[in-house]
Amino acid sequence: MTSLDGIAVKVESATGNVEPLLHEIRHALKRVADGKEGTVIDLRSLPLAPGEEERIEAFLGEGEVRAELDTFGATVFQETSYAGVWLVTHRNMKQAVLTRFIEVTRTPELLKSQRADIERGISRLEDALAASSKVERSRRESVAGQEIKDSG
Amino acid sequence: MTLLDFARGPALQWSLIILVFGVLWQLLGTILIGVKKDLSKPRRNTAVRDGLATIATRSLPEHQFEKKIRFQHFSGYAWHVALFIAVLFSAPHILFFESVLGFGWPHLPNGIILVTAAIALAILFALVIRRLSHPVQRLISNADDYISVIVVIVPLVTGMLASAHIGARYETLLAIHFLSVEALFVWFPFGKLMHTALTFPSRFRAGAAFGRRGVKA
Amino acid sequence: MRKHQTLGVYLHAQGVSRRAFLKFCSATASLMALPPSAAAQVAAALAAARRPSVIWLSFQECTGCTESLTRSHAPTLESLIFDAISLDYHHTLQAASGESAEAARIAAMEENEGEYLLVVDGSIPLGNPGYSTIAGMSNLDMLRETAGGAAAIIAVGTCAAFGGIPHASPNPTGAVSVSEIITDKPIVNVSGCPPIPVVITGVLAHFLTFGTLPDLDHLGRPVAFFGQNIHDRCYRRPFYERGQFAHTFDDEGARKGWCLYELGCKGPTTYNACATLKWNEGTSYPIASGHGCLGCSEPDFWDKGSFYTPISAGLWGSRETLIGAAAAGAALGVGSALAARARKKKARAAEEAES
Repeated sequence: MTSLDGIAVKVESATGNVEPLLHEIRHALKRVADGKEGTVIDLRSLPLAPGEEERIEAFLGEGEVRAELDTFGATVFQETSYAGVWLVTHRNMKQAVLTRFIEVTRTPELLKSQRADIERGISRLEDALAASSKVERSRRESVAGQEIKDSG
Repeated sequence: MTLLDFARGPALQWSLIILVFGVLWQLLGTILIGVKKDLSKPRRNTAVRDGLATIATRSLPEHQFEKKIRFQHFSGYAWHVALFIAVLFSAPHILFFESVLGFGWPHLPNGIILVTAAIALAILFALVIRRLSHPVQRLISNADDYISVIVVIVPLVTGMLASAHIGARYETLLAIHFLSVEALFVWFPFGKLMHTALTFPSRFRAGAAFGRRGVKA
Repeated sequence: MRKHQTLGVYLHAQGVSRRAFLKFCSATASLMALPPSAAAQVAAALAAARRPSVIWLSFQECTGCTESLTRSHAPTLESLIFDAISLDYHHTLQAASGESAEAARIAAMEENEGEYLLVVDGSIPLGNPGYSTIAGMSNLDMLRETAGGAAAIIAVGTCAAFGGIPHASPNPTGAVSVSEIITDKPIVNVSGCPPIPVVITGVLAHFLTFGTLPDLDHLGRPVAFFGQNIHDRCYRRPFYERGQFAHTFDDEGARKGWCLYELGCKGPTTYNACATLKWNEGTSYPIASGHGCLGCSEPDFWDKGSFYTPISAGLWGSRETLIGAAAAGAALGVGSALAARARKKKARAAEEAES
């Protein structure tokens, strides 16, 4: 036997946690529709049988948006076929799954640009602009100097 | 040593020793004690048949009293049947018997065992209430009856709690369940629970003796 | 990172974005078994956290706990947490050896008196002090000396937490747990043989984040990870309820993934997070791989009979004693019956003599 698939193992299993979870998502989605705050469900906090996570994923399906964040390994934000239900998978640099969340919200928090990063961006942008205008000025000055030289 | 280790180990060992020792002592002591030789001429020579017939007839309600004792009689049957199902066909119990006897047998699903145990418990409570409220029954009951009932009720209750994981951590419930059964083992040979072993021999002996005199037992 | 710099300032200086930090915090909250909503709280606390000094002592152990931790499935998270602590002494991981290694321990103790975290793996022999020594110092002396100035102690692995395999009968070295020696310091027991790596880092993360130790159960283990038994969280539990069991490791039931209770699974009496956190990058855990739980996070798991004896079976000596009891009972029964007969005969004889 060369592969594990060759062993006649046919696992029957069901924890009975899949349906309650899907109903929880339905309630959370209604709350979001009513303008209330979103819900995050940590998939690691639930006992799930082999194959049940895949069942949840298949049930939710894939929707219109898929975004990827690249920091300390990839994080994928996949909107499911039910708008407002997101499957968020955090991976580490070795591509191993760190955590999986189901986020029921309009936009997952981490997709939004963070204030601290925006502020840092402003100062970087200002620095970059200052640097480039300095370069521009010195280029202009040197061009002007050249012109004076040429005309002189 | 944890409570569970104690319950599964030394407590189990000693309670079983007392059970086996006590049962054989009581049983052989009772059976071999002998009866005074009956010098009269037997009316008929059908002792074995009469004995067996009495085991059967006393297992049914006596016709004249049927109305009065019907509840008592059939609830007694229902109690014993439910108890035996819960004790003998629960998977963890069979594993226990296997560890003591060396062989096992098929089991029933947990849910069925739980329901059966609950039925057994309800019947036993009803019978205890009747024993306490019925003037004649109360008069003929002594401490032995009540102790015997308690040592049976406690394992039933703790077993159901352990099975359903209610009230405490599983290992604590399981340990208490073990200890309660061990209390039953220790009490068994010395109280009325010995009826388990003596009911049928005593019916047989009474039937045989009555038959000899030509009397219906 | 300088010791008195906060983690937030440090990470900012390293060019770590707020978004990356929040990703780290939500993973950390999940690691600590906190609800996802706690991520913001974790972020606030971690940003202000200062880097604690950690001294790791290894006594009578197999290094399995360190192996578990360093091979854990979240290396980036671990490296961040290890960046966030100052691991000042660890036999297996430190570069220094001999005198300079011991000097590092002493220096860390003096510099962080009353504030450092002490991690211990392995049990401590109370028999001959020569059974286990480090740089000529007995484990007992080193533990007492190092625990003296510690803020708290984390006993990693069943050996440090409960004595473990060295403590197994007949316990030739007189091995004991940390808590049997140190009684005046807060101790967290992270048991398991080995413990789940994310549980070790989860406790470190908790200390780092909140500066306190997590809530503990009656055996000193963090409730967040050891609050529920394996059986209650097991995906095979429905089979137990339905009475569907594997009777051998290769029968129909085993292939269908039915309950392993009959094969000696200790899940009902074992408290750990294996059923949800799982092992090897969240791939599986023993029961999911077809073998019952050994109960490795419980005290004396090695001395509870065979791993393959069901927990409802007795753990008792022999059938011979029962046969002995039966013989003695039978002898007493026969004897008492004969004695009673003799008494009756005597009484009858006396009666006849009188008449």
